[in-house]
Amino acid sequence: MKAAIRSHSGTLALLITLAFCISANAQQTEQPNAQRLHAYDLNRESFLLGTVVKFESASSTPPIGAHVILQTSSGQVDVHLGNAKVLQAGHLELNAGDNVRIVGEPLALGDSTYFAARIVQKGAQAVAVRNAKGYLLTPASTLTPDQKEALRSVR
Amino acid sequence: MKRLLIAISVATALWSAACGSGGSSVQPPPPAGKYSLASLNGQYAFVTNGEVFTSGASFPTPLARVGTFIADGKGNITGGMEDVNADGTPSNAIAITNGTYTVSADGRGAMTLNLGTSTLDFGITLTSNSDGLLIDETSNSNQASTGSGNFILQQSTPFALSEIAGTYVFDFSGSDASQPNPNPESFIGQFVVDSNTQTIPTGFFDDNVGGELNSGAMTPGTIAQDPLQTSSFSAFGRGIATIAGQNFVFYIVNSGRVRFLSTNNGMLSGDAVSQAGIPGGLTGGFVFVVGGSSANGGLTRVGRFTVSNMTLGQMLMDVNDASNEAQFNNLSNGSITSYDSTTGRAQVSFQDSGGQAYSFVFYLSSANSGVIQDISPSGTVGFARVTADGSIELQSGSPFTSANVSGTYAMNWSGLVVAGGSFPIEDEEDLLAQANVTSLTLSGAADLFQFTSATLTPRLDLGVGGAIQINGDGASDDGHRNGMTVNLTGANPINFVVYVVNPQLAFFANRDNSGTPRVVVGILKLQQ
Repeated sequence: MKAAIRSHSGTLALLITLAFCISANAQQTEQPNAQRLHAYDLNRESFLLGTVVKFESASSTPPIGAHVILQTSSGQVDVHLGNAKVLQAGHLELNAGDNVRIVGEPLALGDSTYFAARIVQKGAQAVAVRNAKGYLLTPASTLTPDQKEALRSVR
Repeated sequence: MKRLLIAISVATALWSAACGSGGSSVQPPPPAGKYSLASLNGQYAFVTNGEVFTSGASFPTPLARVGTFIADGKGNITGGMEDVNADGTPSNAIAITNGTYTVSADGRGAMTLNLGTSTLDFGITLTSNSDGLLIDETSNSNQASTGSGNFILQQSTPFALSEIAGTYVFDFSGSDASQPNPNPESFIGQFVVDSNTQTIPTGFFDDNVGGELNSGAMTPGTIAQDPLQTSSFSAFGRGIATIAGQNFVFYIVNSGRVRFLSTNNGMLSGDAVSQAGIPGGLTGGFVFVVGGSSANGGLTRVGRFTVSNMTLGQMLMDVNDASNEAQFNNLSNGSITSYDSTTGRAQVSFQDSGGQAYSFVFYLSSANSGVIQDISPSGTVGFARVTADGSIELQSGSPFTSANVSGTYAMNWSGLVVAGGSFPIEDEEDLLAQANVTSLTLSGAADLFQFTSATLTPRLDLGVGGAIQINGDGASDDGHRNGMTVNLTGANPINFVVYVVNPQLAFFANRDNSGTPRVVVGILKLQQ
């Protein structure tokens, strides 16, 4: 039932994802890449190592949000970082020349493909910008329990 | 009032940056119409969905509210109550002590609600003496909040739990309880209320939590007065409910509509509408609109299809996926399946020319209207690639022309926009307007709140100009889309695609970025 699913959503979702991926791999080989790249799949995750060429807090290039152009060993990659305020809330600032490690995977959008970041790491600092299902995080995800409790003053 | 950050000059600069140099010089016309303070008279149940900045915060938090206010027809708010949920943190039964409101002849106005030491400000546009649209325009030392919603006249007191009886179709949306990273959630379905036992013995649901799909029979639930606030039921029609294991607070509008807000397990809100007149089979043209999220970001889909002898055809759809807009003209392989005239539930599917499949499940609350959830497949069984929901409406009254798409309309849109100065960001945008449509030309006024500026200050009384473009018969069943260009004071033209439900109602979504990336969806509603 819905309630039971919710109460275990953190672990159950991952188990379901893994279970389905094991059985779905065979099915997915029959599907066009475009179909697969329209949804985030933890099993396709990889990481990029590179140097920041350019950071934009809100690029005019879709998808809407922050982008970084990363120089990697295999060329430049457009990486979508989601809401720049999540990076701000995590006190992670990206500047040209920074060396970063980005966990994520390619996603298709329209006729093009970009690299969707889930975790951005600079030095010892790492900030999650997507959740395990690939959905963009809001800055509220960085709230501490005390800060969440303080939301009771909202009217 | 002291603003969170005060610098009107900065706000002006940010506005210019967001909307391009120059922009429209359209000015609002003098208010004209039949409305007055007396038009807002009675007890109204309201909802909004948006965001809030608390004092000292550097970023916003998702916010949903439901409540009721009492207007005396003379410009005074004499009481009320609200419940809020900020990203899963509820605050319940907050008394609205008093307040004020204005209503201009065009139905536009402002409303201030006082809640002890806190104050909330709203822009309102009446769509009749019984209902209207509103946006949250609060910007003071306690909080800044924005969001779109509406208000509906509640029945005359006394309220009775026995009024909630029979079958209801619901659409609750928001986020789940996963912490610290909640998933977007759409929870729609149908439940039955036994007024004798004040229970919800049966129900059927479709739940999309971050793309993970579940569907089936509900666990039994209950409705009750709030034992902690028993007087809130008799005064405001406020009670509590357990639905599918989740706790809610509700406000009765009347026996046909109840407004819900979750009080645990995340943040869900929405209405339950009594179900009646479900046809044995479907026929006609339907317009749909959904809003939500994909892995790319904010998502809107608006479109239409025709059902004839349970065969799907004449599909047309516009998608804005994280500011990547696509118009789909050659949708094929349409099907409508699993229609159940008992629950009003059915599924529709079609695909684009690239082979991408789109699927939706919907529940009709009447022959003309229902709720719809996006379940477009991800390629992994049991998972959708997006989480989104909205409305589905039967088209009527076509052909739509300049002769019948005419009169004064309330207009509201909500979504994401990119704006800001040296550090532009995307954040919520809400607009509420009233416009006179004559020969498909718009003339009116609007309030706009963009949560992208450092000042968090709404822009009030902007001029609205522009035009609606109707093509073909206006129903889009011939493959022709309708458009709308909106000019706001100081802004570049904003272009929309419009799907007309009937001459009184249309859904629209922005169709190009026009220099400002935007993902918004809205409605045009004729004023009565």
